[in-house]
Amino acid sequence: MKRNPLALLVAGFVVALMLYFGYHSARRPGTTGAPRLTQATLAPDFSLPSLDGKTMRLSDLRGKAVLLNFWATWCGPCKVEMPWLIELQNQFAGQGLQIVGVAMDDASKDEIARFTRNMGVNYPILIGKDSVGDDYGGVPALPETFLIGRDGKFVDKIIGLRGKGDIEEAIKKALNTSPATSQAYAMRPQLAQPHK
Amino acid sequence: MTTEPTPSPFYYSRQMTALSTNSQLKQIRVCWILVVVFVLALSMTAVPAMAQTPGQAPTLSVAAVPLVTAERTKDTMVNVNFRVPPGYHINSNAPKSEFLIPTTLRMDLPTDIILGKIQYPAGEDLTFPFSPDEKLNVYTGDFAITLAVHPLHSVVAGKYIMHGALRYQACDNAACYPPKNLPVSFEVKVVKEPVAHQANPAQSPHVHN
Repeated sequence: MKRNPLALLVAGFVVALMLYFGYHSARRPGTTGAPRLTQATLAPDFSLPSLDGKTMRLSDLRGKAVLLNFWATWCGPCKVEMPWLIELQNQFAGQGLQIVGVAMDDASKDEIARFTRNMGVNYPILIGKDSVGDDYGGVPALPETFLIGRDGKFVDKIIGLRGKGDIEEAIKKALNTSPATSQAYAMRPQLAQPHK
Repeated sequence: MTTEPTPSPFYYSRQMTALSTNSQLKQIRVCWILVVVFVLALSMTAVPAMAQTPGQAPTLSVAAVPLVTAERTKDTMVNVNFRVPPGYHINSNAPKSEFLIPTTLRMDLPTDIILGKIQYPAGEDLTFPFSPDEKLNVYTGDFAITLAVHPLHSVVAGKYIMHGALRYQACDNAACYPPKNLPVSFEVKVVKEPVAHQANPAQSPHVHN
């Protein structure tokens, strides 16, 4: 059977295109089965223990702009960010900002407490767990910071270490959001029932 | 007077075929050029992505260890070679902060094969954009860990597979990735120790007749 060389070339080209787009979509972070987090979607609620022995729910912070910072004691860039976050908490607390750290760590609670005490952290630190990380896209790299508006919706996401100015800018965006109406919160199914 | 020979109808047909072949060849050439350009573009975008993709945890690689021949009751040194992808680093075995996770190799050896001391290379003291004032002791690129395998006298000569894992925690210039375990295995051929040379005991001359 005689094969048309042109058809073979076109077929090869199509296969190369499929490989190219397959390769790039496979490498894109956040597309590996993790829920897709986009702006204007509600941040998943969670309930996690804090270092002081209490339990904190994200939904307790409704009406505030929240900076949710996933970090770990073994993460150098996270350590660099912490003094910035301390300053930003001081600077914007009056405008309704609440920074919350979620430690995605193998270290013990005591070690985490010692670390944050040494760093002078002035915001609540929660002991993270994988299921919460999964809800936030898997948190494959640290630090990973989510900015959540007063309405409980995602405003911005910062992966890895960026400048303090970038974080500040994202905080301002989150502070500029309006609080959710009671109806909007009532529609949040994850806030109505305790879980995690 | 000479007359031009009248071309046969087959002559025109051949000309047409040649023309059509030429145009087909041109199309094929254009297609090939497109394919080459596309492959080049792909490689240019893929190579930096492989070097470092923010948000993607790197995977270390371990080179295959050639078959190790180990004599019973002796230490045999085994080098295991690892490679950290470009753009990433991992903590050395002796990082400078207690909170950093050291790189460690753990081996699970068969009974009666003892693991001697594991020798880790010295890390490099480097500063990173996220830590300009503090030097971190890290491994980058290729590094080797040496371990001593010591089969006891009781080990039956033969081949054994050693399994283990390298635990490491990697970072790039802006982010860190959760600790990972890289499986490591190699094969050891245990051989009997040579029989100790013994002087022949004094014997009376023995004559075979």
